[in-house]
Amino acid sequence: MKANGESVSTTLACSVMLAVSFLAVACASVGGAWAQAYPAKPIRLVLPYSPGGIIDYVGRTLAQNLAGPLGQQVIAENRPGAGGITGTDAVARSAPDGYTIVLMDPAIVINPTLQPSMPYDLFKQLTTVSVVSSSPLVVVVAPELPVKSMDDLVRYGKANPGKLNFASAGIGTTPNLAGELLKLRAGIDATHIPYKSIGQSYPDLMSNKVQFAFSSIAGALPFTMDNRVRAIATTGDTRNPVYPDLPTIVETGLAGFEVDLWLGVFAPAGTPPDVVARLNAAITIALKDPELGKAFAKVGAMPRGTSSNDGAAFVRAEHAKWKKVIEDAKIKLD
Amino acid sequence: MDVFSNILLGFGVALSPQNLVYCLIGSVLGTMVGVLPGIGPVTTVALLLPISFTLDPISALIMMAGIYYGAQYGGSTTAILINIPGEPSSVVTSLDGHQMARQGRAGPALGVAALSSFFAGCVAALLIAVGAPPLAQIALQFGPAEYFSLMVCGLVAAVVLAHGSIVKAIGMVILGLIFGLAGSDINSGVRRFTYGLQGLADGVEFVALSMAIYGLAEVAVNLEKKEVKSGIAQSIGRVLPSWADVRTCIPSVLRGTTLGSLLGVLPGGGALLASFAAYTLEKKVARAPRNFGQGDIRGVAAPEAANNAGAQTSMVPMLTLGIPSNPTMALMIAALMVHGVSPGPRVMTDRPELFWGIVASMWIANLMLVILNLPLVGLWVRLVRIPYRMMFVAIVAFCCVGTFTINSNTADLAVLAFFTVFGYICLKLGCEPAPLILGFVLGPMMEENLRRALLISRGDPAIFLSSPISIGFLLAAAFLLIVVAAPTIRRRRDEAMVE
Repeated sequence: MKANGESVSTTLACSVMLAVSFLAVACASVGGAWAQAYPAKPIRLVLPYSPGGIIDYVGRTLAQNLAGPLGQQVIAENRPGAGGITGTDAVARSAPDGYTIVLMDPAIVINPTLQPSMPYDLFKQLTTVSVVSSSPLVVVVAPELPVKSMDDLVRYGKANPGKLNFASAGIGTTPNLAGELLKLRAGIDATHIPYKSIGQSYPDLMSNKVQFAFSSIAGALPFTMDNRVRAIATTGDTRNPVYPDLPTIVETGLAGFEVDLWLGVFAPAGTPPDVVARLNAAITIALKDPELGKAFAKVGAMPRGTSSNDGAAFVRAEHAKWKKVIEDAKIKLD
Repeated sequence: MDVFSNILLGFGVALSPQNLVYCLIGSVLGTMVGVLPGIGPVTTVALLLPISFTLDPISALIMMAGIYYGAQYGGSTTAILINIPGEPSSVVTSLDGHQMARQGRAGPALGVAALSSFFAGCVAALLIAVGAPPLAQIALQFGPAEYFSLMVCGLVAAVVLAHGSIVKAIGMVILGLIFGLAGSDINSGVRRFTYGLQGLADGVEFVALSMAIYGLAEVAVNLEKKEVKSGIAQSIGRVLPSWADVRTCIPSVLRGTTLGSLLGVLPGGGALLASFAAYTLEKKVARAPRNFGQGDIRGVAAPEAANNAGAQTSMVPMLTLGIPSNPTMALMIAALMVHGVSPGPRVMTDRPELFWGIVASMWIANLMLVILNLPLVGLWVRLVRIPYRMMFVAIVAFCCVGTFTINSNTADLAVLAFFTVFGYICLKLGCEPAPLILGFVLGPMMEENLRRALLISRGDPAIFLSSPISIGFLLAAAFLLIVVAAPTIRRRRDEAMVE
């Protein structure tokens, strides 16, 4: 009933043409639901960022690999806006029938703490289907800087207070919070310089205008391969195959310093448990494909694949972890 | 002749049957998405990305580059024919290009656009072949302070760009800056001027703004004229530009190509400035008689040349540094990385066949595009004969569908409606929209770089005077301001505008 009311108001609000297409979609979904078991028609996987990032790459690879185990096409669709909120919100509001799902990164647990108001409630309106991948960040430093390890970086920071800058992909992003976490844990001072994407910060990193950054592996790879910036550590719980020689930050002595740029699939809350289970099973099969593993590895991501319950517990833990960092570092949007 | 043998190697790669086919596919697709509203090169490349994983990396990149250039060619078609610039760079083309179309000279406008793009593309490719590594070094010289000074220079030039009243031009630039402020602030994450609307969280959508102000507002003005005979002249005139047209354009094309090639190298928005800068320069230095804004063919030639040259040289930072100038380039980097190629200085030495193959494919793609586009001119021009009462319905539908498909966001349609009314008022008041567009596009980048520079310098403004490049742009801006402000010179400027 609720879905009906919504589609009526949408019809009124939109132009005739849009209404026709909405009705067509609505009819198709009703017909499909009666005809056969889930999934009876293609599934939309919403990617809430612009093309080109890790979510886009992992999402499209996953969508391709899901077609087999599900017996239906999975269509990846970029729905960028407001740091992932727009696309996630669209899925949170869509019908809980398993035909609209979203792939999101840690921003999904950071936004509720950071944003003064959210259009949806993560824990009430979304259900975790599976956490599909893990990828650590890599600490990169300007080549001019006399810093070859995490210890060096901390020592340099303590010896030169007020001199360090660190780049991020914007306030409240994982690279920003990882930098703040380092400041808290190591007791050093550094100024946060936000960029629109971490890739944009590399020219300034190469010329030492910015001294260090927690970068995605995909973003760092072209620059670390020929030492135009220096990679000194990764943030995973184990060493990353892309950088087998680099220690993890935990190895260097900061216990528990793990930052994971994980990606998870979410469905609207109220999606029937058997539909969630069907999706979860298909994702688990897809993630076991060695070809997919190789494709993920190229951007530094490792296939993971949790159960729906474990995924939900992990998402809650990540929410609590970043909430504490945001509060301790007094990060506020003002 | 090292360069010569390298170019030969490149053509050897690019002329293989497989790569020729992908080059053609890319060019055709690019032209199509350039003409169609809403779907741009970024979306197209993103959709093709998974397919490209199965291709040879050279073929994949040649195809993506073809889409990118093709969209530049296609984008000017809609700008000229129906005054809808789909991207910032074709805004300037529509100024004189659409006026030409209304005077029945759509054919020459489209022809000159294609030919000057072709010429500029060839020169830019040659420039990349000869000087990619030193060009890449220019890009590395630009930090936040240098970009800020460049943007200041660009904004001051926006005032010079306008016709008539300077006060109106300054007013429009400031309005553009204000509209550009809406959305999430990059430094603090706070949403400014969004009035609680989720749809404005990323600011005002550029395509909605430009389609409203150029496309729809003009429809409104045309509809209110009593005899809605046609917004566009009935007679087609020549389909292709005459030799006299071409000859008039040669100096403009050369200037546009030079400016575009240099600005394109800067990854932080240089290519965006190219067509605006070229147009401004033409208005100042082109030989009389000048009737810019009323259908001067040089007003099409110069920005189109600059635009295409800039599009081409913006591949330099991508190929030699691994720094993307725009979202399409970011996708190309992703495609290369999947194939295990890390874009950077080593590509030229480690994978010469890739680098030179792509450079050679630039010539081939440009040749294909000009062969593809010149015969299409005849077809496009026939569209102009459609009675206006049918045309305007199509234009409105075109703008609405185009705006909606960018983000599937209904809020963008509200933005479209709002700016249609706004644009109509501007037209009625004789306020030119070009300075507003430039303010809107440059304002956010200027603010971003200003604040980043000051963060790095810990608030010390001396950072803007710490490098010769930054000082140079600021001096140029100051000089332009003096020229505009000095009353005697201003009188001369107004006289020049009357011509």
